[in-house]
Amino acid sequence: MASLPPTNGSVPLSIEKLSVAYGERPAVHELSLAVRPGEIYGLLGSNGAGKTSTIKAIVGLVRPVGGEIRVFGLDALRDGPAVKARIGYVPETSMLYEALTPREFLEFVASVRKMDAETATRRLASYSEAFRLGPEVEEPIATLSNGTRQKVLIIAALLHAPPLLVLDEPLNSLDPRSVRIMKDVLQRYVATGGRGVLFSTHTMEVAEQLCHRVGILDRGLLRGEGTIAALRARVAAGDASLEEIFLKLTEEDVGVQAAVDTLGNASV
Amino acid sequence: MSWREAIRVSNVAFTELSLQAVFAFRQGNVLPPDRSKNLVARSRRRVVQSKFVISAVLALITLGGAAFIRQKALHPEILSAVPNGLFQSAILTGLLSLDIALLWWTGVQMVPTLISSGVLPALEPLPLDARTFHRVATILYLRLFDLPALTVLVLTPVAVGLALGPLAGLAMVPGAVVAVVFALALSLLTGRFFLRRVQGSRGGGGRTFVRWTYLVLWLVPAFAMFAFITAAPAFFRALSEMAVQGPSPTSALLAAAFPFSFAVLPAIVTGGLQSTQVFSTGTELALVGALAVYVALAVWAVVWLAGSVRSLLFLPAQAAVDFSTSTASLRPTGIAWAVLVKDIRIASRTPGYAFLILLPILDAAALGLLTYATPTSNPVAASLALGAVTTAALLATFFGPAFFAIEVVAYSYGRSLPLSNRSILLGKVALISLMYLVGAALILGLALLRFFEPVTFAGFVLAELPAVVGAAFLELGLLFRWARRRGLAITNLYTGAWFALAVSIPGLVMVGLPPLLFDLTQSMGVALGLAIMGAAAGVGLGVGAATAFGRGAS
Repeated sequence: MASLPPTNGSVPLSIEKLSVAYGERPAVHELSLAVRPGEIYGLLGSNGAGKTSTIKAIVGLVRPVGGEIRVFGLDALRDGPAVKARIGYVPETSMLYEALTPREFLEFVASVRKMDAETATRRLASYSEAFRLGPEVEEPIATLSNGTRQKVLIIAALLHAPPLLVLDEPLNSLDPRSVRIMKDVLQRYVATGGRGVLFSTHTMEVAEQLCHRVGILDRGLLRGEGTIAALRARVAAGDASLEEIFLKLTEEDVGVQAAVDTLGNASV
Repeated sequence: MSWREAIRVSNVAFTELSLQAVFAFRQGNVLPPDRSKNLVARSRRRVVQSKFVISAVLALITLGGAAFIRQKALHPEILSAVPNGLFQSAILTGLLSLDIALLWWTGVQMVPTLISSGVLPALEPLPLDARTFHRVATILYLRLFDLPALTVLVLTPVAVGLALGPLAGLAMVPGAVVAVVFALALSLLTGRFFLRRVQGSRGGGGRTFVRWTYLVLWLVPAFAMFAFITAAPAFFRALSEMAVQGPSPTSALLAAAFPFSFAVLPAIVTGGLQSTQVFSTGTELALVGALAVYVALAVWAVVWLAGSVRSLLFLPAQAAVDFSTSTASLRPTGIAWAVLVKDIRIASRTPGYAFLILLPILDAAALGLLTYATPTSNPVAASLALGAVTTAALLATFFGPAFFAIEVVAYSYGRSLPLSNRSILLGKVALISLMYLVGAALILGLALLRFFEPVTFAGFVLAELPAVVGAAFLELGLLFRWARRRGLAITNLYTGAWFALAVSIPGLVMVGLPPLLFDLTQSMGVALGLAIMGAAAGVGLGVGAATAFGRGAS
């Protein structure tokens, strides 16, 4: 667990009473959270808890039905382009321009991000080396493996050195080496410049290692938030793992045991 | 498992294909605010509607062709130099060519969607035996074409039967069947080639050139639709000359050419071999030999389709991993230019989009060649330039709305970037304007070789340009508003063919109006007519820009 960074300076991300719905089906209900400068904030939750809906609302892919999202003080709904310019986003699934090569795709992203050629090329070289992205940069994305696509998405998110990273399950499909590099990159990333990272995952181990604070989402509601130590205290579990804390806060611990028992009986 | 089981599974898979084709969730489109049951019903309905549109076009062409044949039979004085049998065969050759072109075009649109929707790989983990899986793949593939193919198979013989009698209708059956088989096989063949050599092609100048060259070659059959209509008068002139000449090696070649070999059969069964006036023993032998070859080819195509459809409907193999480091450099540009370059790059690996860029340009080149090749004793530069810019503008504008579709590729990722609709629109409008300028330059460039009037030609191109830009703004602006309101991804033909066609109507009016005004006012002088034309085009630009960027625009 990393030490908690200071909270002075402009807040990278603050969400107040955010609600997202698809038709009549609510996905997120009055969610409030903040990512402080220098902080990696982990958004945890089961499938369908509302993590991706929250992230999509932040990056402007879903229009919330209520609430407010601010990125460094800018209103995400009103100042869309300015907010998007400050965000680096890795989506949950690697949906890219399949007919482009990674180089062509990153050139497009760098153009939209208004980067200069020298900086863009230098950063591409650094990240390509770190993530071992070689001649694949000239292969069409359609022909690349899921892991390589994920690396391309991560490089696209980091290319313009945004002050806020919004990462939806960013370690999916990555090999162990790249996972390790990504963790180091994120820790160094938030160490300077008042940057912030919002990181969604349902891998408790990763969250425990990487995040300064976590928020636990369950069926669109924030069930708990804080450092792991604070959450442990809240559920009155002295040395509980994050997984145990998560199950207790989402009240799924009993259900898990019942499910395991049912499976045991079914397999006999 | 039985065919019944395969049909049941393919029904589920086709529903998924319809949903992905219309809403493009796998390309990252977000869920529209609608009940999921409604979404499925909507996507099914749209697919059926689109199939009806394609089938209606096919039916219209078929009935039109039959009406021509009937008219000629009732009024022999029409194109009297062309014998009745030869006329019927020529019309039916055109009809079969258009049938193949339209079915192939449908395949070109839908086969990549079927592959990218991933419905077949999704079925693979299920406990389906290989035979059932194969049947499901075959049924899915056939369902892409079902209604249009049935239209060709049923309506073509019926229409010919109504025009020439039941025996002629029956004689048309082999031609219709072979046309459908060839179109389906070509769709799969080009789909496979596309995946391996176009979509899977690496970046780099040389490979880009190869891709575009392939796409030009690949477009030629689709281009035949326009070329046939354009070249019809010259074709009938050649036929009348052939009839005067009587049987010759050229007529033997014609008899052996596809689809004439099949198109001549109704004329033979109704009027005998003499009805064409070009048949001799050699011609008959060429015809019989060609028919045997084409039927054998069609049988082989059916066997090939049946054996290949499953393996071809999967995504291309993934590139091998190489741990050497990339030395690629990035050259960022302005945003609108980046949108334009991205579109051209995507088009270079996506025939559907390449088609939209290349078809108007190729048509313009063909018109330019026609102008160059057609001797005119007393040319009027203004009329020639007016016709050229009008054609180039109409062609560029008609296909404009489809460029919106590229933006839906990687829809969600694109929307997460600080990319305004204004930049997207400007990029698309730049592409459409470029197509117009290239098209106009090709026609007039070739025409200049015969009529050297560069200033007049340039004046017309520039006077019409604001109307083209305005029409592009208008069409794309309306599409943006519509798609946003409906939460739709306009990714392909199935999604919103009717709306893409509908918005092209005001666009076509906008580009058609300035040349019309010139035509009405040119008696007052070319310069004044040009000024009025330019002013009307300017008004069009204002209207288009207001639609694209004004109140209510996203």
